[in-house]
Amino acid sequence: MGFRIEKNPAVPSRMVVFSFSVLSLFLASAVIGIIFLAYGINPIRAYTDVLSKTLGSFYGLSEIIRKSIPLLLCGAGLLLVFRTSFWNIGAEGQILMGALAATWAALFSNFPDFLLIPCLFLFGFIAGAVWGFIPTVLKSRFRISEVITTLMMNYIALYIVLFLIHGPWKGKTMRGFAYTDKFPASASLPLIGNTRIHWPTLIIALILVAAIYIILTRAKLGYEIKVISQSPKAGRYAGISYFKTVFWVMIISGGAAGLAGAGEVAGIHHLLRHPNQISMGYGYTAILVAWLARSNPVITIMTALLMAFIFVAGDTIQLSFGLPSQIVNVSTGLILFFLILSEGMMRYRISWKSKEG
Amino acid sequence: MRKTLLFTGVLILACLFFTGLVFATGEKGAPEVSGPAAEKIIKVGFIYVGPIGDMGWTHAHNQARLMVEKLPWVETIYQESVPEGDTLSTIERMIQQEKCDVVFTTSFGFMDGTIDAARKFPNIIMAHASGFKRAPNVATYMADFYQVYYLNGLMAGALTKTGKIGYVGAFPIPEVKRHINAYTIGVREVNPDAEVHVRWIGAWFDPPAATEATMALIDEGCDVFAFTEDTSTVVEVAAKNGFPSFGHYSPMYDASPDYVVSGQLVHWDVFYLRFLGLVYSGILNSGNLENLDYWGLLREGDVELGAKPGMPVNPAWIGRLGDTHDLVLKRLEQMKNPQMVFDPFTGPLYDRKGNLVLPAGARADYLHLLTIEWAAKGVVGPWPNEP
Repeated sequence: MGFRIEKNPAVPSRMVVFSFSVLSLFLASAVIGIIFLAYGINPIRAYTDVLSKTLGSFYGLSEIIRKSIPLLLCGAGLLLVFRTSFWNIGAEGQILMGALAATWAALFSNFPDFLLIPCLFLFGFIAGAVWGFIPTVLKSRFRISEVITTLMMNYIALYIVLFLIHGPWKGKTMRGFAYTDKFPASASLPLIGNTRIHWPTLIIALILVAAIYIILTRAKLGYEIKVISQSPKAGRYAGISYFKTVFWVMIISGGAAGLAGAGEVAGIHHLLRHPNQISMGYGYTAILVAWLARSNPVITIMTALLMAFIFVAGDTIQLSFGLPSQIVNVSTGLILFFLILSEGMMRYRISWKSKEG
Repeated sequence: MRKTLLFTGVLILACLFFTGLVFATGEKGAPEVSGPAAEKIIKVGFIYVGPIGDMGWTHAHNQARLMVEKLPWVETIYQESVPEGDTLSTIERMIQQEKCDVVFTTSFGFMDGTIDAARKFPNIIMAHASGFKRAPNVATYMADFYQVYYLNGLMAGALTKTGKIGYVGAFPIPEVKRHINAYTIGVREVNPDAEVHVRWIGAWFDPPAATEATMALIDEGCDVFAFTEDTSTVVEVAAKNGFPSFGHYSPMYDASPDYVVSGQLVHWDVFYLRFLGLVYSGILNSGNLENLDYWGLLREGDVELGAKPGMPVNPAWIGRLGDTHDLVLKRLEQMKNPQMVFDPFTGPLYDRKGNLVLPAGARADYLHLLTIEWAAKGVVGPWPNEP
């Protein structure tokens, strides 16, 4: 009896997707376990310790939720864009532009206090949307690959923030260090109890997920996206403009990332600081959040929480066992690697051949 | 296809093997170590901004942590490369989950997070390096190099033949400006016409940018080099081109024994041991740190002159320094003196635009040094935020 591996033409069922993802997490833990053993740490004990300090503790859970907020906003937006095969790698820059616009509103706008927080988010959305809109124009007018432009615009955003904090926006109370002044209290987002969860951003994120779900299932835009994702040519014959659709989804996606940036500065930092400290790669991780959720925006809630869990678990393990941060990064990388691997593997099946065959 | 199959098989086998291994080791279950019942153990957490292998700031703090840990009543944990926005979370984790009694936050960007955490945990003792906000349970501390830079400046002034000295700076912030000014004051004391040419690289860790800056300074005619950033790039590039330089932060003598004249060394352990000793004895507690702003100089022993501990000046260069060597040692003793009978920032001092910044006889106080923005006479090059 022999067997061979062949491509599975069927779309993997939910059950297959779920079990493959869980299996890949187990395999990743096994490989990471070997690394732990090399450091003289008992992996089983390490995993129980990490689980009890993350999923098993109020503090750990609250940190996971906090870190999932920007991932959810960006991830849900990216999911929408990726359906149109427009590859937005620029969520990172859109986060920064949102953070920058929110900082302007908080420090220099002179809006009345009660309007300040809504304005923070509004400005954040607009700035992120503009940053997302530019690559669509470049693509529709000049056919410049959006992968390049969105990626490069991340760096432009990064250097704009650096310029501002070292130059005109440098805080007078910061004694020459490159930070803006602190936001007034009226521009700081309220938190849930003793945690660091800035709930207004969380609620906006959940509303966005619901909105994207409705767009995809009920709205005309969702229908157009579906047609385009099946066949852009068919879309053209049906009178659907590819670029018009992409404009709209990029405005939503960029705006969502901008909201994430506004939430981070107003909810966590309360000032504008070095761009790498504001975003920490959320915009790139969100690509994975969107991708793992496949085409269902509701699933991004799960995948964003999963990514946040992986990061919080990494921090916990570094502190509890004194592992070097590089090894922790290797471990998180391994988990992501196995998750991506499982995606590919789902598309194959093993077929058993009988003796006669 | 077969290869893929083989690979999968090997992978599964490896995992099975590993699982067996885990259970084998897991069952034994290492017994919890229970030493002699110590009266009191202080658990200390260190929060670092970079990786401990950076050979600069974080590395130096971690070396000190390892020395502190040798005390029988101290236990330490640390977290490296902590994002500034995660300061409060990390302190919280250290206190709630790891039961720390004392937390040191070792970078300026941790300041607000530390103060927030202090409000949340009023019974925990914290200390924040390089900041200016304190609380009843938060002290601030800093080891500063300006006096050592001044001594190195004296030597640089004696060694330059072109009258141009190169200086690579990370960011135009008061800390770095203070270093450059002190260095320049030293240079000008022995060589009144010499210039210090400054290049900013916009990063604490960026070897390619530091290389480029050093090469540009060489093209400008500089023949002695100093820097404030976290790598040994300037020392290496200068040595490759046959020019002397001064190490910074970590011992850099070994990077180029022929060309490193001297440098700045830090001993954070001096502060940590002193502080924890006072905590252990109960003199410092979570109610009396509001006014504790520790500022470690040569006198306190937190900083040292040299490119290698115990060697103030590279013996290979003593002869070439001539009389300046004696002057360096004399000034060193004066600043180590408990009365600190000498300080480089003593008036009359003029900035490079000719404004009087310190009247005759006056000494720059702590606040002046902490917020310094002016450029000393002899500094050449861009100087953002110059008053």
